[in-house]
Amino acid sequence: MPAYEFALMLRAMPKPELKTALKRISHAIFDRGGIIRNIENLGFRSMPYKTSAHGLVHREANYVVFKVDTAALSVTDLKEEYSRDVDIIRQRVFRVQDDFEHSCTLEEELLPPAYREEVQKMIEIGKTQVNRFTYKFKYNSGLDYYPFQK
Amino acid sequence: MSLLRTFLKRQIFANTHRVTVSTTRFASELKPDEDAPVEIENPFKKERRECILCKLNITPDYKNYRLLSQFQSPYTGRIYGRHITGLCKSKQEKVETEIKKAQNCGYMPYYYKDKAFLKDPKLFDPENPIRSHRF
Ligand SMILES: [Zn+2]
Repeated sequence: MPAYEFALMLRAMPKPELKTALKRISHAIFDRGGIIRNIENLGFRSMPYKTSAHGLVHREANYVVFKVDTAALSVTDLKEEYSRDVDIIRQRVFRVQDDFEHSCTLEEELLPPAYREEVQKMIEIGKTQVNRFTYKFKYNSGLDYYPFQK
Repeated sequence: MSLLRTFLKRQIFANTHRVTVSTTRFASELKPDEDAPVEIENPFKKERRECILCKLNITPDYKNYRLLSQFQSPYTGRIYGRHITGLCKSKQEKVETEIKKAQNCGYMPYYYKDKAFLKDPKLFDPENPIRSHRF
């Protein structure tokens, strides 16, 4: 399982240039002792919003995802290097979380409020709090009259 | 007095006789646990409901923006809540984080739904939420 996913947007350019750009990007990873597990090409398409990068406004991009195994320290280094790369419009790095097995809790969530665990917890907490509706302030002054002006 | 005694004796005899007869008849005709109640599961118990992502075993991913866009409003691009999507808590949270990631990566728009996905099948009806809401 790869540790990181580099989601990159590359600027619109002809195929051979794109090839060299991808080569440059992957060599930067190899130079830092990283391993590329997989390269996903999500295609060339228009962006949902225009982005300006390196003094140019881009409306279309090549979407590429690199699945990489590399040291945590080299990731910031790679990000810094890619931020200087003119061909890369935008880069995002995500840590890959491994799937954890869990059962669906929808049935418990659809129960009436009184049977829901979170509501029961809330009621328990409420019992420890001061009830605003029945609480009566005690003066505790030991006097049978109030010494100050009311 | 003697008459009373004999009468009582007779009564007792009659009673005991009847009782013995009845017990012998029951014991001979029926086996002990043939007609006893049997322990079974509740036949009227309803099937456990699951949300659509758990049922199909799908983990939402930011690269699968077509799936994620189905949880987006076509009018405002905002993410529908749990009372509308009918997802369980963990999946709804996952969907929301993945949509935010996808929007940040430039896969998905923020303020509208991609018009290529407008005719995708509806996973839920926003007009009929599970719990009522104030909008
Ligand atoms: Zn679920």
